[in-house]
Amino acid sequence: MLQNELFNNVIKDFNAGYWELHTKPDKEIWSQKFYEQVGFDEEEIESTIDYFLEHLIHKDDVDVFRDNFLNYRKNNINFKQHIKILTKEGEYKLFRCATNDQLPVNIKSEINLIFFFEIKLEPEQDIAKDNFYYKETAQMTATGSWYVDFHKRKSYWDFETRRILEYPDDYIPSLKDSANYYAKDCRQQAADLFFNCAMAGTPFNTEIKMVTANKRVFWVRAIGKPVYNENKEIIGIRGVFQDIDDIKTKEIKLQRSIEIIASQNSRLFNFAHIVSHNLRSHTSNLSLLVQLIDGIEDPKEKIELIKEIKQISSSLNTTIEHLNEIVAIHTNRSQERKLIKFQDALKLVTGGIGQMISVSKTKIEADFENLEEINYIPAYLESILLNLITNAIKYKHADRDPLIQIKSYIDGNKKCIEVTDNGRGIDMKLFKDKIFGMYKTFHYNEDAVGIGLFMTKNQVESLDGTITVQSEVDKGTTFKIEF
Amino acid sequence: MSHKIGLACIIDDDSMYVNLVKKIIEAKNLCQNLMVFQNGKDALNYFEVILNNLDKNSIPEIIFLDLNMPVMDGWEFLDNFIKIKNKLEKTITLYIVSSSINPVDVERAKSINSVKDYLVKPVTMEDLESIFLNQTT
Repeated sequence: MLQNELFNNVIKDFNAGYWELHTKPDKEIWSQKFYEQVGFDEEEIESTIDYFLEHLIHKDDVDVFRDNFLNYRKNNINFKQHIKILTKEGEYKLFRCATNDQLPVNIKSEINLIFFFEIKLEPEQDIAKDNFYYKETAQMTATGSWYVDFHKRKSYWDFETRRILEYPDDYIPSLKDSANYYAKDCRQQAADLFFNCAMAGTPFNTEIKMVTANKRVFWVRAIGKPVYNENKEIIGIRGVFQDIDDIKTKEIKLQRSIEIIASQNSRLFNFAHIVSHNLRSHTSNLSLLVQLIDGIEDPKEKIELIKEIKQISSSLNTTIEHLNEIVAIHTNRSQERKLIKFQDALKLVTGGIGQMISVSKTKIEADFENLEEINYIPAYLESILLNLITNAIKYKHADRDPLIQIKSYIDGNKKCIEVTDNGRGIDMKLFKDKIFGMYKTFHYNEDAVGIGLFMTKNQVESLDGTITVQSEVDKGTTFKIEF
Repeated sequence: MSHKIGLACIIDDDSMYVNLVKKIIEAKNLCQNLMVFQNGKDALNYFEVILNNLDKNSIPEIIFLDLNMPVMDGWEFLDNFIKIKNKLEKTITLYIVSSSINPVDVERAKSINSVKDYLVKPVTMEDLESIFLNQTT
């Protein structure tokens, strides 16, 4: 059966009148059932929205229905509304309006429809009930309503908006300072949304940070849509704020733990890869050596080859030691943190490599004024400083003596340290992804092992920090650690 | 039986491995000369130089390329090598010899025309022998 036929059959049996909203040109076709519901004949009334607004709908419902209708027509925003419509008997009947989103899921309509379901209720009883439900819903869902009137240049808040924004019941919202109701980093977003809604009639539905009267920042869902007058001009914006701070905070926390888990997972994967790769290179050498020993007749040469086993065994040991160190980092993470002065840690490190510093004529300038100490695992802080300093000296520039600048500070709510050198620099285009990899070296130094930065990154990350690098060839390198 | 391989080339940073392969080649007398580079960059520099003064005897007939190397790894070398390969006017057979068993690496290597085969370390003496003997035309 054709989708359309299915649709037509359903519509025919539907016990409700409806309008078909045609476009090009805009025009509504009212169904036979709709005429029956209000009791008029087709010739007695004009089937236009303007006629409907002026003569048929109850004046209390005109404004909201007009907005809903225009938003539905222009922006495809579905709506639900109770309205009262004049019947031929001269009385108002109550209807529930619904739109395409109320159709059963398997029925798709090609044009927008508005359905009018008759409600058999005493009107007075209904209004009292409506008001009760509205207050209950607002409180239980922490959803406040508001309205911005462009002509009067005023905003209106309901009791719940005042409550979630922590303002007193008699507080009068200010349109002029409305930016202040939003968190600093969300003000541009809010301005854009309201501007687009006011100028182009674009409705919005977004998550945004607001600020309460007590300067508490919290998350709300902000929904707004334009309000039209009878000339179809936008005269205001109506909407709601829902307090979603609990959910959003949980979401952000969840997101953060996903990131941590993902990064731990990737480190584990990386580690498995390292283990497999590094051990393989030794075992394959060993197996090649054994084959060679087997294949050679001369006993003297055989003995020479057996000596090579020593070499392989020692490389294997070194690799295992490196792997042990990495494992140790991740088991040590529960190790006790202590309050350490950066100055003390640096002193300890430079004391240990005094020879290297003086021979290379290295100058170290440290500035710990903005952040003197940190709660960290002492051994890690020392190892991090040691690695970055010895790297700076090892890869110094041929034309100048090494100068290392170390600076600690607070960036936002993060404690940071930066180590900058004037060395050879690293070609970021080539090595960006490899800088912190194991056994990756970027220079021709004989003593480059490619373990230092890998360990540093592991240490920093095992305590939930990050390390980043900026570098320019021939200028120098800056490592930044956020603890 | 035709001619023996004149010049072979190993690009690998594992000096122990290189040393062993060297010994095997000597013991089995598989080729006349062997060149060794510790990373892709050194090797690439060499090929760029001989491109300018084409001396066919300086071009290896066979290359064993490692993937994981410092400074310039095997992939980066390959990218650059493919660009200049045809100008060398000599057939060069290239094998990747790596300890990586990562299927991504294997697939990637097999998708490159210039790569004859992907050998996983440890290579055996038989592998090496048959490669050198089959190479002869």
